[in-house]
Parts: sequence; structure tokens; C-alpha cells
Amino acid sequence: MTSRLWLSLLAVFALVVGACGTQVPASPPAGTPGAQTPGAGETPGTGQTPGTEQTPGTGATPDTGATPDTGATPGTGATPGAGEPQTGGTLVFGGSRLAASLDPALTSDGESFRILQQVYEPLVDLAEGSVSEIVGVLAESWEGEPAGTTWTFNLREGVTFHDGTPLNAEAVVANFERWNTFPEEMQPNAYYIGAVFGGFGENSIIESVEATDDMTVTVTLRRPKADFLQGIALTPFSIVSPAVLEEMNAADPVAGTFSTEPSQGGTGPFRWDSYTPDESAQLVRNEDYWGDPSEGPFLDRLIIQPIPNPSARLQALQAPGGVAGIDLVAPTEYEIVENDPNLELVERLSYNTLYLGINPTATEDGPLSDVRVRQAVAHALNREALIEPFYGGRGSVADIFMPPTSGWYEQVSAGVPTYEYNVDRARELLADAGYGPDNPPQVQFWYPTEVTRPYMPDPQGLAEATITMLEEAGFEVTTGSAIWGTEYIPAATTAQYDMYWLGWTGDYDDPWNWYGYHFDLRNGEPNQQFNCDPEGLREAFETANTSYEFDERAAAFNEVARIIHENACFVTMVHGDTALAFEPHVEGYVPAPTGSESFKGVWLSQDQ
Amino acid sequence: MTRFIVRRLLLLIPILIGLTLLIFVFIHLLPGDPATTILGERATPENYARVRAALGLDLPLHEQYLRYMGGLLRGDLGRSFITNRDVVADFAQRFPATIELALAAMLFAVTVGIPLGMITAKRRATWVDQLGTVGSLIGISIPIFFLGLMLKYLFAIQFPVLPSEGRIDLAMQTFPRTTNLLVIDALIALDFRGLLDVARHLVLPAIALGTIPLAIIMRITRASVIDVINEDYVRTARAKGLPERMIDGRHVLRNALLPVVTVIGLQIGLLLGGAILTETIFAWPGVGRWIYDAVTTRDYAVIQSGVLLLALIFVVVNLVVDVSYALLNPRIRHS
Repeated sequence: MTSRLWLSLLAVFALVVGACGTQVPASPPAGTPGAQTPGAGETPGTGQTPGTEQTPGTGATPDTGATPDTGATPGTGATPGAGEPQTGGTLVFGGSRLAASLDPALTSDGESFRILQQVYEPLVDLAEGSVSEIVGVLAESWEGEPAGTTWTFNLREGVTFHDGTPLNAEAVVANFERWNTFPEEMQPNAYYIGAVFGGFGENSIIESVEATDDMTVTVTLRRPKADFLQGIALTPFSIVSPAVLEEMNAADPVAGTFSTEPSQGGTGPFRWDSYTPDESAQLVRNEDYWGDPSEGPFLDRLIIQPIPNPSARLQALQAPGGVAGIDLVAPTEYEIVENDPNLELVERLSYNTLYLGINPTATEDGPLSDVRVRQAVAHALNREALIEPFYGGRGSVADIFMPPTSGWYEQVSAGVPTYEYNVDRARELLADAGYGPDNPPQVQFWYPTEVTRPYMPDPQGLAEATITMLEEAGFEVTTGSAIWGTEYIPAATTAQYDMYWLGWTGDYDDPWNWYGYHFDLRNGEPNQQFNCDPEGLREAFETANTSYEFDERAAAFNEVARIIHENACFVTMVHGDTALAFEPHVEGYVPAPTGSESFKGVWLSQDQ
Repeated sequence: MTRFIVRRLLLLIPILIGLTLLIFVFIHLLPGDPATTILGERATPENYARVRAALGLDLPLHEQYLRYMGGLLRGDLGRSFITNRDVVADFAQRFPATIELALAAMLFAVTVGIPLGMITAKRRATWVDQLGTVGSLIGISIPIFFLGLMLKYLFAIQFPVLPSEGRIDLAMQTFPRTTNLLVIDALIALDFRGLLDVARHLVLPAIALGTIPLAIIMRITRASVIDVINEDYVRTARAKGLPERMIDGRHVLRNALLPVVTVIGLQIGLLLGGAILTETIFAWPGVGRWIYDAVTTRDYAVIQSGVLLLALIFVVVNLVVDVSYALLNPRIRHS
């Protein structure tokens, strides 16, 4: 009896070993199953988290010549001899989710943009792969100054919406009017409309929009807005066919179908074919696209398939057929992709920053109210050392809040103090502030759970590493954690945590979007998230907010940055790059820092 | 019988009311709300207050509950706070995917589990039985997540014979989705290539999801068969000289299956709601994943109505099981 039991156990064991043993795979199974708790690894379906989610980092813009050190192929098909683009074929691309809404004005996350920006186009857009260069799309040219209040757009001739109606000034005016008059129930989801225009109706910066002739639109602002063009280059400001808007009752939050059904109201290189929630978004080539045919669109059909779990997403790419490209490869999987001859890793340089938030008022009379203690925190951190283990080696130390891919970086960062890793200096500063081994500064450090972000792939791991560094410099740290969206963010932004992780992915390239949003006054008071109100900052902001021309504005924000970093109001940590992966026959994909990535130039090579 | 059914259906009402209350209390006990998820990093106190007001979240709790119940009575189960889609429409759109997966998993579990249960019961205490026991224990204890990933790795990547995720090859021109039960839709369209594609996509997730029910069904069948085999009427049948096959079929199995049917019913109910892990690994667009996402984003309407609908289906399924149990077992039918 016993021997039979052993025999059967042995048989089972042999079977298991046989299956796994001899055929040792070249690449281990994608991802460690244990590490990927469902839903925890992937940002939960926060449909409207503006820009942050999968707003990818920066791409290797050909102009700047910034080839990432890691040697990743800057965009696919950049290898010489890739050949002439071939028309045809179907590309299945794996994202993490489908669009939260099919109405571009009501979207604010990267996955929604990914789909909708193939179908809908704004007046102007960022140049391919760029963060700051503006090019005309539906507007062929425009007149206006950052310091002015009038912008005139000359529309492109011969453009038709997918429903056949023509693009003209009236259509553009109708769209501006629509944005200005969103019913109250829809306003929360029209985040970017509100953010860029400052509000709706009377609160909007838009004073009037007029069709001054058939193909010319004049927009008058109530006050100058230096980043006006950058703002309206965002996908939510796409121009939609007024006929479609009316037909689909876009203004009716209950009976309207524009936000839930695909439409033929766009002008983009791809048209809607079908949309199945949680399953696929299917687009087909727009044969009547206004652009130069030599630039695309080349694909017959583009299918976006949502695969929320990163391991499953990579496996979908590894399996033959089906998915041929994915986004948001987990940093732990970069090596797998690089070692696989059938896959190509494409790095996307970042447009995000992880920062260690400091709130001196969270604890009354706490150590962090002393600037020297805050500076000690900055000196105690070896930020470079975090990049390899947590970002798969792809990222860079953040000297200032804005990433180097920003067009403003050089000028805004000039002369801003950076805190190099120096534990001795940290201890010195703490001693100056009256702390030491028998009287260590006691602080709490909070990190979020149930979230990953491009700038924060592993909140807990990063927290633990950082706390070790802080303790080495003499801090006494207690930890806390809370669930991201529901507890952590409200607490962090209302001064309840001493120190905490947060980050920012830029909405568009303007220094106010970084420094202003976080440190400028809100209703006359400093933002309670940081309670950072050092001398000179309010005046510096006043100057910055009334500086519109580039050089002037850059210099003004340079001053803002200098004051903030001198006072160590927060510690900018890392810019986290992200990556896509493709099968080698997919050519022409150009990653962009802000996620403004078009499939127009993508083609499938038949040769590989 | 009819009275039995009617009574059970009437009981549904207090059950469901109690459920709505329970779910409502639960989701409001969770910290956070949809406003925080909508805003993410961009939550300023003003934004936050504005969004909450727009979503009706600043109303007192009992008012929110009554609003919801009022909607229920009108047949309006609410809209998602995040996507603004109608909850019932979203549920109806995803539910066929979940049913199909659950049925496929059940089919696998039953067609393999019951015979295995029979065999191990009849060859009790032999090496066959030992092997079966060990096998079923492994089956019950393997985490679905791990099993799913391993199955995918082995059969979709290393030896690519099956697809790795999804319900269907998206790039293929497909048949129209009349019911969204793809097996049925393919048959209706007489698209046999499509049918094969759908079936191939069902294999791995069905195995991953069905392994635990398989193990359970196998063990219950085994126990039940062992009981029945020792009954007098089986011995009598054997003494009468009936062929073993007939005894197995008509006397043993028929009686042994009664508890198994109950277990199957319970398992289907669980599979319908609990396939979250499988749906995640295999990118299966079902209800489990949808509700799980809703819980993470605190999409109240989806959680409230989604769970309610699932509970309703669960109760109905069990009613059907109980009725069929009565039909199968004349002793109950006539009691």
C-alpha cells in the first residue's frame, strides 16, 4: 500500500519535472507570477486620471539627437535599410485598457488618447516625437503671440470629416462653443477643457470665437495665455464634425451616444470600424486622409486590444500571431525582451518626475519645518542608485522638476541648486539644525499601494530603499501606506503626511504646468500639499505669470525654480522612462514623451 | 412543484433588497470614492468638492441609497461614474463572455471529473485511486494565477499550439455577434473556421478555471459512488446478472450524481462571479474583471448593480439546480 503511494507520487513528480525540466526555456516565463497580484501591478481603471497614467515619457526626438545611453532603438524602423513603407496589413496592439470615453473632450488618460488621437485631430499638435514643437494640423497656419489675446487660425483646405462634411471655420467655432457650454454633470470629466481654459462659460479664458471667413477662425482671450497653443494641441481639443455632435446628442449626458459609441466625426488617418468594451477598438485606414500619402496611413486595420496585466501583455506579444506590439513593458521585463531575438524593445524617454513630497506643517514643530533638515533629506538620497533596480536601468536623476526632454529645461534649470548625494553633508546639516545621534529627527514616510506609475514602478520598493538611505544619514523614520486613489492622494494633498511619494507627468510643455500647478498660490494661499512659502516666491510667481515670451518666461520660472529648490520644498527624484516592445516586422513607430503617438507612419514589413 | 418554485421566486425580493443594503453599506465603508479616482494626482480640494457634487456624492447616505432604490424600481440600475455607460448595458455586453467561459470550464470539469471520480471510486485503495487523490489535491491547491500563466507559457509560447489570450483572433474577419456567445454566433453564421478559432481560445482559460471545480467534482463523485456501490440495490442488480455497464449507468451513476448536481450548481454560480483571475490573465472581457475594476475605482453604480445582477443570477441558477435535483430524484419530487 505505502509503496504504491510512493510510486504514484513519483509518477506525478516525474511528469511535472519532465514538462519543465529538460526543455529549459531560453527566456523564463514572462514575469514572476507571484509578483503580479492582479490589478495591483497595473494602474486600476482610473479612467479619468488626467494625463498621468500612460502618458508616456519622452521619445528619442530625431532633432535633439538625444540617443538614450542604453542604446535602445529610438523608434522602430530607424535602423538604416528598413526600406520603403509598404501599405497593407493589420496590426494588433496591446494597451492596458480601452478608452474611458469615446468623446475626446471627456478623456484625460493616455489609453483614451492612444485610440482617439488616431481618429480625431486638433487644430495644432506636437511634432512627431517632440515635446515642445508645435506644428499645424487642421490649422495650416496661425497668427498670435504668447503675450497677446488674439489667435487667428487659417484652416487647411480640402479636409473632410469621416462623415463627408467639410472642415470649415463654422465647424471649429461650433466645437469651441461646445467646450464652453458643457452641462454641469459633464464638466468633471471634461478635465482638460476646464484646466486649459480655466473653467467654463464666464470662467473660461475664451472671450469669443468667430468665423471671420469661411476658413479663418479668430479666438479672443480674456487675458494672455503663454501656453495656449500647447493646451489646444491636446487630444480633448480635437475638432469633431458638428453634424455628428448633433446626431449623437453629444451635449446630453444621459441620452447622448457620442461618448459611448464610435462615430464618423473625426478627420484623422484612421476611421472607426468597431468598438467592443474590454475587448477591442478597431480602426481602419482613412482612404481620404488629407495628409501626404507618402507619410501614411499605411495599415489597413489597427486593432487596440486591452490586456491589463503586464505579464499577460508580454505573453501576448511573445505568442506567435495576434498582438505585434505592446506598451508599458514592466521594467522587470526589459531584460526578457532585450534577450529575445524575436522582439524589439523601444524606449520612450520620459516626461514625468517622481518627487519626494515634504510637508513641514504635517507635524507641528516637526523637524521638517527647518530648511536645513529638508536639505539634509536631499543630500541623503543616492537617486542614481535607484534607477537600475527600479526602472530597469532606464531613467535619469531629476535635478529639477521638469525633465531634460522639455524645451524649457536648459533655461529653467540654469543655476538651480542640485543636491548631490553626500551623507556627510546631510549629517552636518542635521547637526546644524540641532539634531544628532542622541536626538534624531523623527519623520514619517508614506507610500501608496495598488498603483504603478511610469515614474513610480514600485512604490514600496522605492520607499524601502529611500528609508534605508535616510536612516543612514541619521533620520528616524516610521512608515505608512495607503491605497492610492482613494486614501493616499487626498491625504497627501491635504498636508497629512510628513514625507510621501508623488509624481507628475506633464500635461504639456510649459513650466507653469510643473512649478505653477504645484507651488503657485491657490485662492491666495500656498498649496497646502507643500505649504511652501519661502521669501520671494510669491513675487517670483507674479513675474512669471505675466511673462509670456519664451526667454522672459524661462528666466522668470528659472527664478521660481531656484527659490523652490533652494528651500528644498520637495526633492525631485527620478524621471522614469517607459518602453514599448514590438515584433521586428513592425516599422515606423515613433515614441513621444507626452504620449502623442500616431500610428499613421507605422507599416508592416513583409520581408521579416 | 409550482408552489415550490413560486415561493422561491418570491423569496428573491427580500433577498435582493437585503443585498442592496449590504452592498451599499460595504462600498461606502471603503475609504475613497469615484471622485478621487477620476481626479488622481490632480485632486485639489476644490476639484474634489466639485466632482463630488456633480456625481451626487455629497448627498446624505440614506438619500443616495433611496435614489438608487428608486432607480431600481424604475428599472434604472445607474450609470458608471467613470465611463457614463449604462450599467445594465455594460453587464449584458460582458456577461456572455463570462457564461461561455464558465460553461466551458464546467464542461471540462464535468467530463473529466465525473469519470475520474467513478474510476477512482471503483478502484478504491488501488494505485489508480492514490494517483487520483494526489492529482485532485494538486488541482485544488494550485493557484489559478500560476496555473494560467504556466499553461499560457507552455501551450502558447513554448509549444505554440493554442492562442494566449482573448476570445477570438481579432485580426480575422469575424461573424456577426448576435448573442455575443461566440460559439453560438459562429454556428449561426455557419462559420466553422471561426468556430474552431473560438474553441481554441476557450481551451486554456477553461482548463485554468475548471481545474478546481474538476478536483472537487471528482472527489464528490468518488465519495458518492462509493456510498452507492455499497447499497443493497446495487448488490441486487449485480446478483440479477446485469452487465456491469448497465449497473454503472442506470443504478450507480444516476443515484450517485444527485449530490454532484448540487455541487455543479454551486460551482457554476461561483464561476460566474469569481473568474476574475482567469479573466485577467487571459484578457477575457467578462463580468468578473469589470466588477473588480469597479471596486478598485470605487465606481459605485457598477459595483452596486453589477453585484446585484450577479447575485440574482446566482440565486436563479441555484433554483434551477434545486428543481432539477427534485426532478432527478423522485423521492424529493413526491415529498
